[in-house]
Amino acid sequence: MKSKRRVLICLLSVAVLAAIAAVMMIIGRGHTIYVDNRSVDYNGQTYEAPYKVTVYVKDEQIAKLYDKERGMSTWIGQNFQMTLEVMEKKGGDEVLQTIQLKLPYDMDGIIVNLPAVLAGLPEEAWLTEFIPAPVVEEDDGEIPGESDEFGLEGDMGDDMGLGGDI
Amino acid sequence: MKQNKVLNFLLNNMVPIMFIIICAVLIPLSGFSAGYLLNEIITRMGRNTFLVLCLLFPIMSGMGLNFGMTLGAMAAEIAIIFVADWQIWGLPGIVLAVILSLPISVALGWLCGTIMNMAIGREMITGYIMNFFIGGWYQLVVLFMMGPIIPIVHSSIKLPRGYGIRNTVSLLNMRQTLDDLLAIRIGGIKIPVLTFLLIGLLCLFIVWFRRTKLGQDMRAVGQDMNVARDAGIKVERTRIISIIMSTVFAGFGMVIYLQNMGNLPTYTAHSQIGMFCIAALLVGGASVEKASISNAFLGVTLFHLMFIVAPAAGTEIIGDSMIGEYFRVFASYGVITLALIMYEMKKRRSKGQAGQMLAQAQREEEAS
Amino acid sequence: MGYVGIAEGLRYWMKRMEMPRLIIAGFLVLLYVIAPFVGADFPTQITNTINRFSWNAVLVLAMVPMVHSGCGLNFGLPLGIISGLLGATLSIQFGFTGLLSFVMAIVIATPFSVLFGTGYGTLLNKIKGGEMMIATYVGFSAISFMCMMWLLLPYTSPTMVWGLSGAGLRPTISLEGFYDQVLANFLHIKIGNFEIPTGSLLFFALLAFLMWLFLRTKTGTAMTAVGSNRVFAQAAGINVDRTRTLSVILSTWLGAVGILVYQQGFGFIQLYTAPNNMTLPTVSAILIGGASVNKASIPNVIIGTILFQGMVTMTPTIMNALIHMDISEVVRVIVTQGMILYALTRKPEGGN
Repeated sequence: MKSKRRVLICLLSVAVLAAIAAVMMIIGRGHTIYVDNRSVDYNGQTYEAPYKVTVYVKDEQIAKLYDKERGMSTWIGQNFQMTLEVMEKKGGDEVLQTIQLKLPYDMDGIIVNLPAVLAGLPEEAWLTEFIPAPVVEEDDGEIPGESDEFGLEGDMGDDMGLGGDI
Repeated sequence: MKQNKVLNFLLNNMVPIMFIIICAVLIPLSGFSAGYLLNEIITRMGRNTFLVLCLLFPIMSGMGLNFGMTLGAMAAEIAIIFVADWQIWGLPGIVLAVILSLPISVALGWLCGTIMNMAIGREMITGYIMNFFIGGWYQLVVLFMMGPIIPIVHSSIKLPRGYGIRNTVSLLNMRQTLDDLLAIRIGGIKIPVLTFLLIGLLCLFIVWFRRTKLGQDMRAVGQDMNVARDAGIKVERTRIISIIMSTVFAGFGMVIYLQNMGNLPTYTAHSQIGMFCIAALLVGGASVEKASISNAFLGVTLFHLMFIVAPAAGTEIIGDSMIGEYFRVFASYGVITLALIMYEMKKRRSKGQAGQMLAQAQREEEAS
Repeated sequence: MGYVGIAEGLRYWMKRMEMPRLIIAGFLVLLYVIAPFVGADFPTQITNTINRFSWNAVLVLAMVPMVHSGCGLNFGLPLGIISGLLGATLSIQFGFTGLLSFVMAIVIATPFSVLFGTGYGTLLNKIKGGEMMIATYVGFSAISFMCMMWLLLPYTSPTMVWGLSGAGLRPTISLEGFYDQVLANFLHIKIGNFEIPTGSLLFFALLAFLMWLFLRTKTGTAMTAVGSNRVFAQAAGINVDRTRTLSVILSTWLGAVGILVYQQGFGFIQLYTAPNNMTLPTVSAILIGGASVNKASIPNVIIGTILFQGMVTMTPTIMNALIHMDISEVVRVIVTQGMILYALTRKPEGGN
């Protein structure tokens, strides 16, 4: 009887932990968001870039974008929210606008096109995936744990951690 | 009589007093300002205290200083690598890392406890070798299996050759998110309140745990294994549990440590952690068989104070910062050596006393 | 009749070999069998193994006296190594060259090893039962203390100190012109790719023979008696503490000579934290050879060193050729530590 209850408690706590982990995986997914202020063609129609857009994320100004400029921000979770201060023409009035976007889960870097967003176009118009250019790296021999030809050097013993910060 | 008491106090607290003197000499030499030192100490306390506290459980059950706490650190590192690869950021990332480290820690802790049970009386050296042994497996997993066998998505954390994890994994996106939440600043000194709250919670847990049935059992096992066994306590099981708890909390501590550092030195992060935590605890006046929460706090403060000022003081005295760095390493090793020697000598003395008492009792019995 | 005898003998050896040793020996044999198929030059491989054996054998031999007297595995090997390093650096500092520098290094190292050994032995007598852990940390403390000393001691020889400041020893010091290969070149045999450093092997053989003789003298048997049962030894009138101290001095001195032999093969003196990396492989080697925490013999040393060094030299070549990944380092770490763990979890034979 007692052991049955114990097993139950164990299973329950494992389930709870798994649930928390799952929730964390959803709400903790981080994205890097690049906001582009450039004209876009969609369904044969061109949406012009405004003269200047100031982007605020979490009450923090991240960029002041003129035509063909790009700003960057990070966001945790999928419900992205930003505030835009749009100046349509030079010297014109600034219009405040709050934008909410649903981000795709499995995309690390996301390019958001502002004119398309401002025009209220569907996702396929404003979203592109940001693919970082593959960096050509040389194998600079930083592979750890690989010893020189003499064998015994390496991290077998307790190298005394000099210079290590703790 | 009174003099005797003072002498006893001095003898029992030799190590902390020695360190207070060392720090008192080195601090003026180093030329650091009080504000800087205070800031550093608070940062380091937040970073390390949790790890140091995890050593208390095996001491409770008489298994000595848990040199195998590194296993928990490795578990946390593996968890952190996954979290970094899955791009889970911020506080959720930290929570996820803690949860992911849990099963690995439990498994490694169980293994370590089982092996230690096969080497009763040699737990410490076994734990010490254990951390190299598991270190080898850790390297096998992280350096060779991550990539081809264990899927790793982002090439940014992989080695250029296509498998294995880089020497450093950036944790920029969860860097100090735990520390910064609820942090207060007093005169330029940042106090990571949430981290300290977590440390406080662990302290409360330890205090509470000592009073539970399991905690009592652990202390009984620590006192005398045979007596405990006669009293119906499952000695082996209790010992394994104490190691598992230590490993699990070491894993949590390592996550706290890494989020504060903001990057993961994949192959070296764990190698020193056990040694430094043990040295810190001992500096605080703990011994192999007895340690309290206050030892941990005092130890972290003194040890890290020494750690911060030694290189600068070395530069000041001899004109070479390496001297200071060697000195602090020497001091950490020296403290552990001293504590181990004192423990063994005390053990022998008490054994001798017990023997004498037994002989006396027999003599009295014969006389009567 | 003969067949039965062989089977009996085989069974006897199987039993004596124990599982882990069998596995490692099998692994090594497998490596040698695979070697020709993956294009590794067989004579070169054998030469490497023999070479590394000649470097390390004396260090492994240094484990024997302490194990014999019941002091456990000598995790305090760094003390011996430090005596050897002091001998080596002082010998160069005093301007000796060639073979003489090697002899003088041993001569100078001797008083140091006696001094350190006595102190260390006395300490170990006070803490019987906890030797291994304390030895480890005594070793670490000594190494880190010497790290400071290498910087501070007033060495002046330009081959050893930093060129710029003229003070403080360099981490690696070349032995060219001093005792580099001085033993190995004695009666050196070379057939194609196959070489034998005869001198080094003879030197080891000499020391091993002396050790074997010593263990059969009165003092030597007393040492074994102390190791197998302290209480009986005491009852038989043996001065336990003195015998143990003697064994520690002997181990320390052999450690000093061992590191000198290692250096003459390797060609460099390594200072600062380098001695750290010597202890565990050495301990592991003698365990692989069949020693336990309280039992070790000369054959254990020889077998263990061959198996361990064979593994060290063979795995990188074979692994690289087979799977194009150099996991040899990892394999070595796991085998080394696994072997020590295995030995620690064995019940000690005979009561103490």
